[in-house]
Amino acid sequence: MTIEEAARRLRTREVSAVELALESLRMIREQQPRLNAFITITEEVALEQARRADDDFARGSDRGPLQGVPYALKDLFDTSGIRTTGGTKIFADRVPDRDCAVYERLQAAGAVLMGKTGMHELAYGITSNNPHFGAVRNPRDPARIPGGSSGGSGAAVAAGIVCFAMGSDTGGSIRIPAAYCGCVGLKPTFGRVSRFGTLPLGGSLDHMGPMTQTARDGALVMEAIAGYDPRDDSSSHRPVDGFVKSGFSMTGLRIGVPENFYNERIAPEVAAAFADALRRAESAGARLIPVPVPDPAALNVAGRVILLAEVSALMAPYAGRRGDFGADVLALLDQGRLLAATDYINAQRFRRRAQRQWADMWQSVDVIFTPTAPILAPLIGRSDVEWGGEGGIVEAEDVRLATTRLVRAINVLGIPAVSIPLHCNQLPAGLQIIGRPFDDGLVLAVGESMA
Amino acid sequence: MTDWKALAAARCPDVPPDAVACLVPALEALETSFRPLAEQLTSDDESAVVFSDVFGANVSGRAE
Repeated sequence: MTIEEAARRLRTREVSAVELALESLRMIREQQPRLNAFITITEEVALEQARRADDDFARGSDRGPLQGVPYALKDLFDTSGIRTTGGTKIFADRVPDRDCAVYERLQAAGAVLMGKTGMHELAYGITSNNPHFGAVRNPRDPARIPGGSSGGSGAAVAAGIVCFAMGSDTGGSIRIPAAYCGCVGLKPTFGRVSRFGTLPLGGSLDHMGPMTQTARDGALVMEAIAGYDPRDDSSSHRPVDGFVKSGFSMTGLRIGVPENFYNERIAPEVAAAFADALRRAESAGARLIPVPVPDPAALNVAGRVILLAEVSALMAPYAGRRGDFGADVLALLDQGRLLAATDYINAQRFRRRAQRQWADMWQSVDVIFTPTAPILAPLIGRSDVEWGGEGGIVEAEDVRLATTRLVRAINVLGIPAVSIPLHCNQLPAGLQIIGRPFDDGLVLAVGESMA
Repeated sequence: MTDWKALAAARCPDVPPDAVACLVPALEALETSFRPLAEQLTSDDESAVVFSDVFGANVSGRAE
Protein backbone atom coordinates (compact mmCIF):
# COMPACT_ATOMS: atom_id res chain seq x y z
CA MET A 1 0.00 0.00 0.00
CA THR A 2 1.33 3.43 -0.88
CA ILE A 3 1.44 6.28 1.62
CA GLU A 4 -1.18 8.12 -0.40
CA GLU A 5 -3.53 5.15 -0.32
CA ALA A 6 -2.99 4.56 3.42
CA ALA A 7 -3.58 8.25 4.11
CA ARG A 8 -6.81 8.20 2.14
CA ARG A 9 -8.11 5.05 3.83
CA LEU A 10 -7.24 6.38 7.27
CA ARG A 11 -9.16 9.59 6.62
CA THR A 12 -12.23 7.85 5.26
CA ARG A 13 -12.14 5.56 8.34
CA GLU A 14 -11.89 2.47 6.11
CA VAL A 15 -9.06 1.42 8.34
CA SER A 16 -7.50 2.58 11.60
CA ALA A 17 -3.82 3.17 12.29
CA VAL A 18 -3.86 0.27 14.75
CA GLU A 19 -5.31 -2.02 12.08
CA LEU A 20 -2.61 -0.93 9.62
CA ALA A 21 0.06 -1.55 12.24
CA LEU A 22 -1.32 -5.00 13.06
CA GLU A 23 -1.39 -5.93 9.38
CA SER A 24 2.19 -4.72 8.99
CA LEU A 25 3.25 -6.76 12.04
CA ARG A 26 1.54 -9.83 10.60
CA MET A 27 3.44 -9.38 7.34
CA ILE A 28 6.74 -8.83 9.14
CA ARG A 29 6.30 -12.13 11.03
CA GLU A 30 5.20 -13.94 7.89
CA GLN A 31 8.06 -12.60 5.72
CA GLN A 32 10.88 -12.52 8.30
CA PRO A 33 11.92 -16.17 7.81
CA ARG A 34 12.00 -15.61 4.04
CA LEU A 35 13.53 -12.14 3.80
CA ASN A 36 15.21 -11.37 7.16
CA ALA A 37 14.43 -7.71 6.45
CA PHE A 38 14.38 -6.67 10.13
CA ILE A 39 16.94 -6.69 12.92
CA THR A 40 14.50 -5.43 15.53
CA ILE A 41 10.68 -5.41 15.45
CA THR A 42 9.22 -2.59 17.54
CA GLU A 43 5.75 -4.01 18.18
CA GLU A 44 5.01 -2.14 21.41
CA VAL A 45 6.23 1.17 20.03
CA ALA A 46 4.25 0.63 16.85
CA LEU A 47 0.99 -0.07 18.62
CA GLU A 48 1.47 2.88 20.98
CA GLN A 49 2.23 5.25 18.11
CA ALA A 50 -0.71 3.85 16.12
CA ARG A 51 -3.10 4.36 19.03
CA ARG A 52 -1.87 7.94 19.35
CA ALA A 53 -2.47 8.50 15.63
CA ASP A 54 -6.00 7.12 15.94
CA ASP A 55 -6.65 9.32 18.97
CA ASP A 56 -5.48 12.33 16.99
CA PHE A 57 -7.77 11.44 14.08
CA ALA A 58 -10.65 11.04 16.53
CA ARG A 59 -9.95 14.51 17.97
CA GLY A 60 -9.78 16.00 14.48
CA SER A 61 -6.03 16.57 14.75
CA ASP A 62 -4.32 15.83 11.43
CA ARG A 63 -0.53 16.09 11.24
CA GLY A 64 -0.35 15.33 7.53
CA PRO A 65 -0.17 12.37 5.18
CA LEU A 66 2.21 10.28 7.29
CA GLN A 67 -0.07 10.17 10.33
CA GLY A 68 -0.83 6.54 11.15
CA VAL A 69 1.32 5.20 8.30
CA PRO A 70 3.60 2.20 9.05
CA TYR A 71 7.28 2.62 8.25
CA ALA A 72 10.73 1.29 9.15
CA LEU A 73 14.15 2.77 9.86
CA LYS A 74 17.45 1.31 8.73
CA ASP A 75 19.22 0.14 11.86
CA LEU A 76 21.62 3.07 11.93
CA PHE A 77 19.03 5.72 12.83
CA ASP A 78 19.20 6.23 16.60
CA THR A 79 15.97 5.53 18.44
CA SER A 80 15.85 6.26 22.15
CA GLY A 81 15.42 3.08 24.16
CA ILE A 82 15.45 0.89 21.05
CA ARG A 83 18.56 -1.06 20.09
CA THR A 84 20.43 0.47 17.15
CA THR A 85 23.18 -1.80 15.90
CA GLY A 86 24.53 -0.40 12.65
CA GLY A 87 24.41 -4.01 11.55
CA THR A 88 27.64 -4.72 13.41
CA LYS A 89 28.64 -6.89 16.33
CA ILE A 90 30.55 -3.88 17.68
CA PHE A 91 27.22 -2.13 18.45
CA ALA A 92 25.03 -5.22 18.78
CA ASP A 93 23.78 -4.24 22.24
CA ARG A 94 23.84 -0.48 21.82
CA VAL A 95 20.67 1.25 23.03
CA PRO A 96 20.78 5.00 22.33
CA ASP A 97 19.40 7.51 24.81
CA ARG A 98 18.43 9.97 22.09
CA ASP A 99 16.40 10.03 18.91
CA CYS A 100 17.95 10.95 15.59
CA ALA A 101 16.53 14.01 13.84
CA VAL A 102 14.70 11.96 11.22
CA TYR A 103 12.90 9.90 13.86
CA GLU A 104 11.98 13.07 15.75
CA ARG A 105 10.43 14.52 12.62
CA LEU A 106 8.63 11.31 11.68
CA GLN A 107 7.18 11.10 15.20
CA ALA A 108 6.02 14.69 14.88
CA ALA A 109 4.37 13.73 11.57
CA GLY A 110 2.53 10.87 13.30
CA ALA A 111 4.14 7.99 11.39
CA VAL A 112 4.22 4.55 13.04
CA LEU A 113 7.60 2.82 13.51
CA MET A 114 7.37 -0.93 12.86
CA GLY A 115 11.03 -1.80 13.27
CA LYS A 116 14.69 -1.39 12.43
CA THR A 117 15.78 -2.93 9.17
CA GLY A 118 18.70 -5.16 8.27
CA MET A 119 21.67 -3.75 6.43
CA HIS A 120 25.20 -4.40 5.30
CA GLU A 121 27.53 -4.23 8.30
CA LEU A 122 28.23 -0.56 9.13
CA ALA A 123 26.52 0.31 5.79
CA TYR A 124 29.91 -0.54 4.28
CA GLY A 125 28.93 -2.76 1.35
CA ILE A 126 26.23 -3.48 -1.16
CA THR A 127 25.06 -7.04 -0.51
CA SER A 128 23.36 -6.79 2.93
CA ASN A 129 24.82 -10.26 3.44
CA ASN A 130 25.41 -9.61 7.11
CA PRO A 131 27.65 -12.03 9.06
CA HIS A 132 26.16 -11.02 12.43
CA PHE A 133 22.43 -10.73 11.70
CA GLY A 134 22.12 -12.94 8.64
CA ALA A 135 21.66 -12.23 4.96
CA VAL A 136 18.78 -10.01 3.93
CA ARG A 137 17.06 -11.48 0.89
CA ASN A 138 15.46 -9.99 -2.19
CA PRO A 139 11.64 -10.23 -2.14
CA ARG A 140 11.58 -10.71 -5.93
CA ASP A 141 13.85 -13.75 -5.62
CA PRO A 142 15.15 -14.76 -2.18
CA ALA A 143 18.19 -16.43 -3.74
CA ARG A 144 19.42 -12.97 -4.71
CA ILE A 145 20.79 -10.05 -2.76
CA PRO A 146 18.46 -7.11 -2.14
CA GLY A 147 21.38 -4.76 -2.69
CA GLY A 148 22.70 -2.57 0.03
CA SER A 149 23.58 -1.26 2.25
CA SER A 150 19.91 -0.39 2.94
CA GLY A 151 18.84 -3.90 1.90
CA GLY A 152 16.29 -4.46 4.66
CA SER A 153 14.58 -1.15 3.94
CA GLY A 154 14.39 -1.92 0.22
CA ALA A 155 13.10 -5.44 0.86
CA ALA A 156 10.48 -4.29 3.40
CA VAL A 157 9.10 -1.61 1.06
CA ALA A 158 9.17 -3.75 -2.09
CA ALA A 159 7.43 -6.60 -0.24
CA GLY A 160 4.71 -4.21 0.91
CA ILE A 161 5.45 -4.81 4.59
CA VAL A 162 5.67 -1.08 5.31
CA CYS A 163 4.57 1.93 3.28
CA PHE A 164 8.01 3.49 3.43
CA ALA A 165 11.42 3.06 5.01
CA MET A 166 14.43 5.25 5.61
CA GLY A 167 17.83 4.38 4.24
CA SER A 168 21.27 5.92 4.06
CA ASP A 169 23.36 6.37 0.92
CA THR A 170 27.13 6.84 0.98
CA GLY A 171 27.97 5.25 -2.37
CA GLY A 172 24.58 4.17 -3.68
CA SER A 173 23.12 2.45 -0.62
CA ILE A 174 19.57 3.73 -1.14
CA ARG A 175 19.44 3.64 -4.94
CA ILE A 176 21.00 0.18 -5.32
CA PRO A 177 18.47 -1.71 -3.16
CA ALA A 178 15.70 0.36 -4.72
CA ALA A 179 16.83 -0.86 -8.14
CA TYR A 180 17.40 -4.49 -7.12
CA CYS A 181 14.18 -4.83 -5.11
CA GLY A 182 11.92 -2.71 -7.31
CA CYS A 183 11.00 0.37 -5.29
CA VAL A 184 11.79 4.08 -5.34
CA GLY A 185 14.84 5.38 -3.49
CA LEU A 186 15.92 9.00 -3.17
CA LYS A 187 19.39 10.18 -2.26
CA PRO A 188 18.65 13.81 -1.44
CA THR A 189 20.99 16.75 -1.91
CA PHE A 190 23.80 16.78 0.67
CA GLY A 191 22.65 18.85 3.64
CA ARG A 192 18.93 18.57 2.87
CA VAL A 193 18.07 15.89 5.45
CA SER A 194 19.66 16.02 8.89
CA ARG A 195 22.12 13.29 9.77
CA PHE A 196 22.03 14.08 13.47
CA GLY A 197 21.82 10.86 15.46
CA THR A 198 22.69 8.51 12.64
CA LEU A 199 25.70 6.23 12.59
CA PRO A 200 28.15 7.89 10.21
CA LEU A 201 30.14 5.99 7.61
CA GLY A 202 31.84 8.50 5.32
CA GLY A 203 31.09 11.89 6.83
CA SER A 204 31.39 13.90 3.62
CA LEU A 205 29.48 11.33 1.56
CA ASP A 206 26.58 10.20 3.81
CA HIS A 207 23.00 11.09 2.86
CA MET A 208 19.73 10.01 4.52
CA GLY A 209 16.70 9.46 2.30
CA PRO A 210 13.35 7.73 1.83
CA MET A 211 12.54 4.44 0.12
CA THR A 212 8.97 4.25 -1.09
CA GLN A 213 6.67 2.55 -3.55
CA THR A 214 6.12 5.68 -5.61
CA ALA A 215 8.11 8.83 -6.27
CA ARG A 216 5.18 10.91 -5.02
CA ASP A 217 5.37 9.04 -1.71
CA GLY A 218 9.06 9.95 -1.60
CA ALA A 219 8.06 13.59 -1.90
CA LEU A 220 5.58 13.20 0.96
CA VAL A 221 8.29 11.78 3.22
CA MET A 222 10.70 14.54 2.22
CA GLU A 223 8.08 17.14 3.17
CA ALA A 224 8.25 15.72 6.69
CA ILE A 225 11.98 15.13 7.15
CA ALA A 226 13.83 17.82 5.15
CA GLY A 227 15.11 21.07 6.53
CA TYR A 228 17.84 22.76 8.52
CA ASP A 229 19.05 21.18 11.74
CA PRO A 230 21.66 23.09 13.78
CA ARG A 231 22.86 19.82 15.33
CA ASP A 232 24.17 18.62 11.94
CA ASP A 233 27.14 20.69 10.78
CA SER A 234 26.49 19.73 7.16
CA SER A 235 22.82 20.77 7.29
CA SER A 236 21.84 23.38 4.73
CA HIS A 237 20.27 26.70 5.72
CA ARG A 238 18.58 26.87 2.34
CA PRO A 239 14.77 27.10 2.71
CA VAL A 240 12.84 23.95 1.85
CA ASP A 241 10.68 24.21 -1.26
CA GLY A 242 7.68 21.97 -1.73
CA PHE A 243 8.69 18.48 -2.79
CA VAL A 244 5.24 17.56 -4.11
CA LYS A 245 4.91 19.06 -7.58
CA SER A 246 1.25 18.95 -8.57
CA GLY A 247 0.53 19.35 -12.28
CA PHE A 248 4.12 18.65 -13.32
CA SER A 249 4.59 18.09 -17.06
CA MET A 250 7.50 16.50 -18.90
CA THR A 251 6.89 18.79 -21.88
CA GLY A 252 10.08 20.64 -22.72
CA LEU A 253 12.10 18.98 -19.95
CA ARG A 254 15.74 18.71 -21.06
CA ILE A 255 16.96 15.22 -20.25
CA GLY A 256 20.69 14.68 -20.52
CA VAL A 257 21.54 11.26 -21.93
CA PRO A 258 25.21 10.45 -21.27
CA GLU A 259 27.31 9.74 -24.34
CA ASN A 260 30.02 8.14 -22.26
CA PHE A 261 30.59 5.85 -19.27
CA TYR A 262 26.94 5.26 -18.30
CA ASN A 263 26.34 3.26 -21.50
CA GLU A 264 29.36 0.97 -21.11
CA ARG A 265 29.21 -2.57 -19.71
CA ILE A 266 25.43 -2.61 -19.19
CA ALA A 267 23.57 -5.93 -19.10
CA PRO A 268 21.31 -6.32 -22.15
CA GLU A 269 18.09 -6.47 -20.07
CA VAL A 270 19.03 -3.24 -18.29
CA ALA A 271 20.04 -1.52 -21.52
CA ALA A 272 16.73 -2.47 -23.16
CA ALA A 273 14.67 -1.25 -20.20
CA PHE A 274 16.65 2.00 -20.13
CA ALA A 275 16.14 2.56 -23.87
CA ASP A 276 12.41 2.02 -23.37
CA ALA A 277 12.41 4.63 -20.59
CA LEU A 278 14.05 7.15 -22.90
CA ARG A 279 11.41 6.47 -25.55
CA ARG A 280 8.64 6.97 -23.00
CA ALA A 281 10.16 10.24 -21.79
CA GLU A 282 10.39 11.52 -25.34
CA SER A 283 6.80 10.49 -26.02
CA ALA A 284 5.77 12.47 -22.95
CA GLY A 285 7.26 15.62 -24.47
CA ALA A 286 10.76 15.68 -23.00
CA ARG A 287 13.82 16.55 -25.09
CA LEU A 288 16.65 14.03 -25.08
CA ILE A 289 20.00 15.79 -25.21
CA PRO A 290 23.18 13.74 -25.60
CA VAL A 291 25.79 14.99 -23.11
CA PRO A 292 29.41 14.13 -22.44
CA VAL A 293 29.58 13.60 -18.68
CA PRO A 294 32.78 14.84 -16.98
CA ASP A 295 34.74 11.71 -16.08
CA PRO A 296 32.54 9.74 -13.66
CA ALA A 297 35.17 6.98 -13.53
CA ALA A 298 37.65 9.42 -12.01
CA LEU A 299 35.03 10.62 -9.55
CA ASN A 300 34.41 7.02 -8.53
CA VAL A 301 38.11 6.57 -7.80
CA ALA A 302 38.28 9.79 -5.81
CA GLY A 303 35.12 8.76 -3.96
CA ARG A 304 36.62 5.42 -2.99
CA VAL A 305 39.77 7.09 -1.64
CA ILE A 306 37.66 9.53 0.39
CA LEU A 307 35.40 6.79 1.72
CA LEU A 308 38.20 4.39 2.66
CA ALA A 309 39.98 7.11 4.61
CA GLU A 310 36.89 8.55 6.31
CA VAL A 311 35.54 5.19 7.50
CA SER A 312 38.89 3.98 8.80
CA ALA A 313 39.40 7.23 10.69
CA LEU A 314 35.93 6.92 12.21
CA MET A 315 36.35 3.29 13.19
CA ALA A 316 39.91 3.68 14.50
CA PRO A 317 38.77 3.27 18.14
CA TYR A 318 37.59 -0.25 17.26
CA ALA A 319 40.64 -1.31 15.26
CA GLY A 320 41.66 -3.65 18.07
CA ARG A 321 38.47 -5.70 17.72
CA ARG A 322 39.44 -7.32 14.44
CA GLY A 323 37.56 -10.52 15.17
CA ASP A 324 34.29 -8.65 15.60
CA PHE A 325 34.12 -7.37 12.01
CA GLY A 326 33.00 -9.32 8.98
CA ALA A 327 35.81 -10.23 6.60
CA ASP A 328 34.77 -7.85 3.81
CA VAL A 329 34.39 -4.87 6.12
CA LEU A 330 37.67 -5.62 7.91
CA ALA A 331 39.52 -5.71 4.58
CA LEU A 332 38.14 -2.27 3.67
CA LEU A 333 39.01 -0.87 7.11
CA ASP A 334 42.57 -2.15 6.72
CA GLN A 335 42.86 -0.61 3.24
CA GLY A 336 41.75 2.75 4.59
CA ARG A 337 44.37 2.67 7.33
CA LEU A 338 47.11 2.30 4.73
CA LEU A 339 46.16 5.28 2.59
CA ALA A 340 48.27 8.43 2.80
CA ALA A 341 46.80 11.67 4.13
CA THR A 342 47.95 13.33 0.91
CA ASP A 343 45.77 10.94 -1.09
CA TYR A 344 42.72 11.90 0.94
CA ILE A 345 43.37 15.60 0.51
CA ASN A 346 44.04 15.22 -3.21
CA ALA A 347 40.83 13.24 -3.62
CA GLN A 348 38.95 16.11 -1.96
CA ARG A 349 40.71 18.58 -4.27
CA PHE A 350 39.73 16.51 -7.29
CA ARG A 351 36.18 16.45 -5.95
CA ARG A 352 35.96 20.25 -5.94
CA ARG A 353 37.25 20.38 -9.50
CA ALA A 354 34.63 17.84 -10.62
CA GLN A 355 31.84 19.74 -8.88
CA ARG A 356 32.71 22.78 -10.99
CA GLN A 357 32.79 20.73 -14.20
CA TRP A 358 29.37 19.22 -13.48
CA ALA A 359 27.97 22.66 -12.61
CA ASP A 360 28.80 23.77 -16.16
CA MET A 361 26.94 20.80 -17.59
CA TRP A 362 23.70 21.79 -15.82
CA GLN A 363 23.40 24.82 -18.07
CA SER A 364 22.29 22.59 -20.96
CA VAL A 365 20.12 19.98 -19.21
CA ASP A 366 17.58 19.84 -16.35
CA VAL A 367 18.10 16.21 -15.33
CA ILE A 368 20.28 13.31 -16.42
CA PHE A 369 18.99 9.78 -16.98
CA THR A 370 21.20 6.73 -16.41
CA PRO A 371 20.60 3.15 -15.36
CA THR A 372 20.99 2.83 -11.56
CA ALA A 373 22.98 -0.39 -11.72
CA PRO A 374 24.43 -2.05 -14.80
CA ILE A 375 23.19 -5.49 -13.76
CA LEU A 376 20.14 -7.13 -12.19
CA ALA A 377 20.30 -8.35 -8.59
CA PRO A 378 23.10 -10.93 -8.33
CA LEU A 379 22.71 -14.27 -6.59
CA ILE A 380 23.79 -14.27 -2.95
CA GLY A 381 27.47 -15.19 -2.73
CA ARG A 382 28.36 -14.18 -6.27
CA SER A 383 31.58 -12.15 -6.28
CA ASP A 384 32.16 -11.28 -9.95
CA VAL A 385 30.24 -10.17 -13.01
CA GLU A 386 31.53 -11.26 -16.40
CA TRP A 387 31.48 -8.97 -19.41
CA GLY A 388 32.18 -10.00 -22.96
CA GLY A 389 35.04 -7.90 -24.31
CA GLU A 390 36.55 -7.43 -27.73
CA GLY A 391 37.67 -10.61 -29.46
CA GLY A 392 35.58 -12.76 -27.17
CA ILE A 393 37.73 -12.00 -24.15
CA VAL A 394 35.74 -12.21 -20.93
CA GLU A 395 36.40 -9.51 -18.36
CA ALA A 396 35.50 -10.06 -14.70
CA GLU A 397 34.32 -7.15 -12.59
CA ASP A 398 33.92 -7.29 -8.82
CA VAL A 399 30.19 -7.26 -7.95
CA ARG A 400 30.67 -4.40 -5.47
CA LEU A 401 32.44 -2.23 -8.01
CA ALA A 402 29.95 -3.09 -10.76
CA THR A 403 26.98 -2.38 -8.54
CA THR A 404 28.29 1.02 -7.41
CA ARG A 405 29.77 2.03 -10.77
CA LEU A 406 26.87 4.24 -11.89
CA VAL A 407 25.89 5.71 -8.53
CA ARG A 408 29.00 6.47 -6.45
CA ALA A 409 30.00 9.65 -8.28
CA ILE A 410 26.69 11.25 -7.34
CA ASN A 411 27.58 11.00 -3.64
CA VAL A 412 30.90 12.68 -4.32
CA LEU A 413 29.04 15.54 -6.01
CA GLY A 414 26.34 15.75 -3.32
CA ILE A 415 23.56 16.23 -5.88
CA PRO A 416 20.11 14.58 -5.71
CA ALA A 417 19.29 11.35 -7.52
CA VAL A 418 16.31 9.04 -7.39
CA SER A 419 16.05 5.45 -8.59
CA ILE A 420 12.69 4.34 -9.90
CA PRO A 421 11.82 0.80 -11.00
CA LEU A 422 12.18 -0.37 -14.56
CA HIS A 423 10.64 -3.74 -15.19
CA CYS A 424 12.50 -6.28 -17.26
CA ASN A 425 11.19 -9.84 -17.19
CA GLN A 426 11.31 -11.35 -13.70
CA LEU A 427 13.60 -8.89 -11.93
CA PRO A 428 13.47 -5.10 -11.69
CA ALA A 429 16.16 -2.70 -12.81
CA GLY A 430 16.46 0.95 -11.88
CA LEU A 431 16.31 4.26 -13.72
CA GLN A 432 18.53 6.85 -12.03
CA ILE A 433 17.32 10.44 -12.42
CA ILE A 434 20.02 12.91 -11.39
CA GLY A 435 19.32 16.58 -10.73
CA ARG A 436 20.93 19.88 -9.89
CA PRO A 437 21.70 20.69 -6.26
CA PHE A 438 18.43 21.09 -4.33
CA ASP A 439 16.29 19.94 -7.27
CA ASP A 440 15.11 17.01 -5.16
CA GLY A 441 11.48 17.89 -5.91
CA LEU A 442 12.14 17.93 -9.65
CA VAL A 443 13.81 14.52 -9.77
CA LEU A 444 10.91 13.07 -7.79
CA ALA A 445 8.36 14.71 -10.09
CA VAL A 446 10.15 13.35 -13.15
CA GLY A 447 10.28 9.96 -11.44
CA GLU A 448 6.54 10.07 -10.83
CA SER A 449 5.92 10.94 -14.48
CA MET A 450 8.09 8.00 -15.58
CA ALA A 451 6.29 5.43 -13.39
CA MET B 1 54.68 1.72 -6.51
CA THR B 2 54.15 1.72 -2.79
CA ASP B 3 55.60 -1.19 -0.82
CA TRP B 4 52.32 -1.94 0.94
CA LYS B 5 53.71 -4.81 2.96
CA ALA B 6 56.47 -2.65 4.43
CA LEU B 7 54.04 0.20 5.00
CA ALA B 8 51.59 -2.08 6.81
CA ALA B 9 54.34 -3.55 8.96
CA ALA B 10 55.36 -0.05 10.03
CA ARG B 11 51.96 1.63 10.37
CA CYS B 12 49.54 -1.20 11.18
CA PRO B 13 51.52 -3.99 12.83
CA ASP B 14 48.29 -5.50 14.12
CA VAL B 15 47.28 -6.43 10.56
CA PRO B 16 48.59 -9.95 9.91
CA PRO B 17 50.95 -10.31 6.91
CA ASP B 18 48.59 -12.72 5.14
CA ALA B 19 45.78 -10.17 5.45
CA VAL B 20 48.06 -7.50 4.00
CA ALA B 21 48.92 -9.78 1.10
CA CYS B 22 45.22 -10.07 0.30
CA LEU B 23 44.86 -6.27 0.31
CA VAL B 24 47.77 -5.51 -1.99
CA PRO B 25 46.00 -6.11 -5.34
CA ALA B 26 43.14 -3.76 -4.38
CA LEU B 27 45.52 -1.10 -3.07
CA GLU B 28 47.72 -1.30 -6.16
CA ALA B 29 44.70 -1.02 -8.45
CA LEU B 30 43.44 2.01 -6.54
CA GLU B 31 46.86 3.62 -6.59
CA THR B 32 47.19 3.02 -10.33
CA SER B 33 43.82 4.68 -10.93
CA PHE B 34 44.30 7.55 -8.51
CA ARG B 35 47.86 8.72 -9.23
CA PRO B 36 47.05 10.17 -12.68
CA LEU B 37 44.15 12.13 -11.17
CA ALA B 38 46.31 13.61 -8.45
CA GLU B 39 48.89 14.59 -11.05
CA GLN B 40 46.27 16.70 -12.88
CA LEU B 41 45.75 18.94 -9.87
CA THR B 42 47.17 22.43 -9.80
CA SER B 43 47.64 24.93 -7.01
CA ASP B 44 44.26 26.43 -7.95
CA ASP B 45 42.47 23.24 -6.95
CA GLU B 46 41.24 23.67 -3.41
CA SER B 47 39.91 20.84 -1.29
CA ALA B 48 36.19 20.20 -1.24
CA VAL B 49 36.63 20.14 2.52
CA VAL B 50 36.96 23.70 3.76
CA PHE B 51 36.44 24.79 7.29
CA SER B 52 34.51 28.00 7.01
CA ASP B 53 31.12 27.09 8.44
CA VAL B 54 32.04 28.38 11.88
CA PHE B 55 32.51 31.78 10.24
CA GLY B 56 29.04 31.63 8.67
CA ALA B 57 30.19 30.95 5.13
CA ASN B 58 29.59 27.97 2.87
CA VAL B 59 30.67 24.55 4.03
CA SER B 60 32.54 21.65 2.54
CA GLY B 61 31.02 19.14 0.19
CA ARG B 62 27.76 21.01 0.23
CA ALA B 63 26.43 21.39 -3.27
CA GLU B 64 25.17 24.95 -2.87
